[in-house]
Amino acid sequence: MINILTYLFSGAVQSGTSVLYGVYGEILSERVGVINLGLEGSMVMGAFGAYAATAQTGSPLLGVLAGMLLGGLLALIHAYLVIARKANQLATGLTLMFLGLGITAFFGRGYVSASIGGGLSAIKIPLLSDIPVIGGLFEQDILTYLSYLLGPALWFLLFKTRFGMLLRGTGESEEVVYAYGLNPKRMRYIGVVMGGMLAGLGGAQLSIAYTKTWIEGMTNGRGVIAVALVILATWQPLKAYIGAYIFGGAQSLQLVLQQQGYDVSPFLLLMLPYLLTLIALFIVSRRKRQVMPAELKKIVESSVSS
Amino acid sequence: MTALAKKLPADWWKNALVWAGVIAVPIVAFGLFLQTQGVNAIQTYGTMISSTLGTSYGIGEVVVKSTPLVLIAVATAVSAKAGLVNVGGEGQFAIGALAAAAAGMLLLQDVPGIIGIPCMALAGIAGGMLWSGVAGVLKVKANMNETITTLILNYIAVQVVSYFVYGPLKDPDSFNWPQTARISSQLRLPSLGGGRVSIGIFFAVGLAVILWLVLKKTKWGYKLRVIGGNPIAAAQAGYHVAKNQLIAMLVSGGLAGFAGMLEICGVEYQMRQTTGTNYGYLGFLAAWMAWNNPLLGIVTAFIIGFLSVAGNTMEITSGLPSSSIRILMSIVLLAILWKGRRKKA
Amino acid sequence: MKKFQLRLTAALCAAVLVFASGCSGSGGSSSDGGDAKKVGVGFIFIGTRDDYGYNQAAYEGSLAVEEELGDQVTVYRQENIPETSEATRALEQMIQQGATILFPTSYGHLDPALVAAEENPDCIFFHQGGLKTSENLGTYFGTIWESFYLCGIAAGMSTESNQLGFVGSFPIPQVLLNINAFQLGAQSVNPDVTTTVVFTGSWSDPAAGTNAANSLIDGGADVIAQHQDSTKTIIGVCESRGVKSIGIHADASELAPEGWITGAVWNWGDLFVDMTKTALAGEFKGSKYDGKYRGGLKEGVVDIAPFGANVSQEIQDAVNEAKAAIISGDLFPFEGEVRDQDGSVVIEEGVRPSVDDLETCDYLVEGCIGSVSE
Repeated sequence: MINILTYLFSGAVQSGTSVLYGVYGEILSERVGVINLGLEGSMVMGAFGAYAATAQTGSPLLGVLAGMLLGGLLALIHAYLVIARKANQLATGLTLMFLGLGITAFFGRGYVSASIGGGLSAIKIPLLSDIPVIGGLFEQDILTYLSYLLGPALWFLLFKTRFGMLLRGTGESEEVVYAYGLNPKRMRYIGVVMGGMLAGLGGAQLSIAYTKTWIEGMTNGRGVIAVALVILATWQPLKAYIGAYIFGGAQSLQLVLQQQGYDVSPFLLLMLPYLLTLIALFIVSRRKRQVMPAELKKIVESSVSS
Repeated sequence: MTALAKKLPADWWKNALVWAGVIAVPIVAFGLFLQTQGVNAIQTYGTMISSTLGTSYGIGEVVVKSTPLVLIAVATAVSAKAGLVNVGGEGQFAIGALAAAAAGMLLLQDVPGIIGIPCMALAGIAGGMLWSGVAGVLKVKANMNETITTLILNYIAVQVVSYFVYGPLKDPDSFNWPQTARISSQLRLPSLGGGRVSIGIFFAVGLAVILWLVLKKTKWGYKLRVIGGNPIAAAQAGYHVAKNQLIAMLVSGGLAGFAGMLEICGVEYQMRQTTGTNYGYLGFLAAWMAWNNPLLGIVTAFIIGFLSVAGNTMEITSGLPSSSIRILMSIVLLAILWKGRRKKA
Repeated sequence: MKKFQLRLTAALCAAVLVFASGCSGSGGSSSDGGDAKKVGVGFIFIGTRDDYGYNQAAYEGSLAVEEELGDQVTVYRQENIPETSEATRALEQMIQQGATILFPTSYGHLDPALVAAEENPDCIFFHQGGLKTSENLGTYFGTIWESFYLCGIAAGMSTESNQLGFVGSFPIPQVLLNINAFQLGAQSVNPDVTTTVVFTGSWSDPAAGTNAANSLIDGGADVIAQHQDSTKTIIGVCESRGVKSIGIHADASELAPEGWITGAVWNWGDLFVDMTKTALAGEFKGSKYDGKYRGGLKEGVVDIAPFGANVSQEIQDAVNEAKAAIISGDLFPFEGEVRDQDGSVVIEEGVRPSVDDLETCDYLVEGCIGSVSE
């Protein structure tokens, strides 16, 4: 029983970390008023970039950088098209998702059988990892630890720095940004690209830290789910954990349930993470409206009409 | 159509030329990329075109592939007019197809086609409506963003389909392979000239035209456009925003579900786990590239259908992996998105 | 703006040129004398060739055909063909390109292939794993469950916790058969052993596989087998957590120098070449491939991978002994009596089930923990 609980906690974190990065990334993007459905593309670019670079150079650090770079690059295309060319955000995002999956599948063929050695292995934190039940949370890879810290860090960035205030301002009211003599377009680019880089980091965690595998399409919708989970986080970095770990936890829970041998179709259990996400969204739905960034609200409510 | 023609500006051909250019640039760029991969681009493109548009078989395949895309594009457009982003064509299509296949397999096996096929259509439409209705109700009652809910419902639909084709709807004669029984032959749509193309394409194109008219010419269409344009103002003007958005969502899901039914009755004859994978997303893209104009949606759906069929030939003849066509398709779409809408003078 | 339009127009002209010359180019190549004599052999795969698994194995089979018979045949391939009427189209398109011998390599390609076979009576189809045949469509498969039975013996002797784990993909007959053979093999040497089964709902989702392996290990399993396409992920997890692993599709011992036991592997090359030769010679009708051909350990279509360094001689001897007995026909892994999870008899005492009976399996045998519930 203790084992199962231990597993549920560490499993939630392990399955949730890449999604968590996605949520962080999408929060930044949406904070500046841009929905990026192409996050899945950024994530898979990150997974591929990190794996390929690590396999080539033997350095996971360079891998992480490459993953972030490729994730950010795809987001840059998104930013250019929706900001400079005023293209539809959702269609552009979806297309970039296909592009990211296509490019990585094409160039990734040679890397499926490549080895990255140990990749980013788990590091045990003394004392903390000995705590019963939740000790497993402190026996993870470095990118997972980074994801623990990123919540407060992004919160600080967004709410306690001038730069963050301007980022948020871009999503709330462009006039404020103009008043500071800055170009809101530029802030928007920064937000979207940073978001893509974070998603790329999530992909890197998936490929070189968690699974040490590259295979095409390995993100399997985790970037898409991250976009949905942003609402659960109410665009707050400190609440990003909630959605990501609910989703990750449900992944682990369904595996535990399968092992009990109950007479339930595995497909109903595999549905669990998505159902729980939907239910959680339902629960917070009453409060979400007033916290949505104003510029984003404009896009959500009016960009569809034509 | 005459209405459309009248609206065309005098220099429409210039526009057409620009558009052709926009589409050509990524194709040329991709061709250069093929050259770097050691593939003869000119020859590959040639085979792609001659094998799809050069033979009646190839044209038929493009039509088969485009039929569901046209309908899903129209479905997406209807909801978009009401200010809703329905990304759930994928799930609505799947549930519609599942419902149609279930009805055909369980209830209609011995029913004459003239009754059975409409019943399957109703089942498919109901299935699609059920799936979009969930998102619609959550939108108007719980204020949940429909983009997000329809996306999540797509993932749930995958597991629902799996559950049924592995379980209650598994064909007893399928050697325990996860698929429904094939529908009996009188339930299949008549084919055009004995090939793989069924009369489904007429329904798809017909519905696209009808919905274009409905959205353009009827009071309801006008209402939807007002609601989509500014829901708050529409509410102040006394429109029932929630009710009409829900109806739009149901119509949208019904169309996608109908596409699923056409796929079952016209092409697949049975439901499998992967039936229609990605059709929903491709149809969504077709709609947005056509700025949610159902008539233009027919064109964009055919472009996407053409690219995916031609892509298969490319893979066979050049030995390139299947991902190549995804790259080509997305850069063509990006070019179209880059060009954006014609600026009104 | 003018300048921009000019540029676009230029690009457009270039594109038209590309198309125009492309059309004439293709016309030239199809009448090319060199290719005309060669027979087209087409392979369609459900996944990508580099997946280190099922598709990789079939892909290597297609390479063998190319290598052995390259002077007589042109090989066409298409990956990622779903198990829907898309497969019919893929096959038809290959036939349009000149293929006359077709290999649809995934189970679900069967019905689409039967449609294509009916429409193209002059072509010969070899379907991988099917139970239905037609005039010009025969099926072939490898009884890889024989290998899994042997893996089960090794696992049953290696485990200390008496808990084995199995990461499945989907509860389809081919996967269930392997799980059952694995448990039966383990049980034959260790009556107390159980196999806990989880399904990931995917052929290659490395994160889901990692998660599944972790959860089985945390649940107490100390040997993990799998039926996934991307196998190296789970083997890597097992190695890093100090747990033993069983592979499938290909030898992955180098990934787990400590914990690798053995694995079930395919060897399609010789079979594919022989089938192609038979079809080329026009001798398909009445040959052993005209129908349902099944090859196993005896025919060399399946085998087990080399043992890991830490596998004791005792285990190796037991496995090799069973292997010899299967080859000689003395041992049949699924010989009754076999009971399912509920304890009901699914194979009667002394019965050796037919291919059709085995390959329609929809249950887990006694000793398996998990659900395939409907």
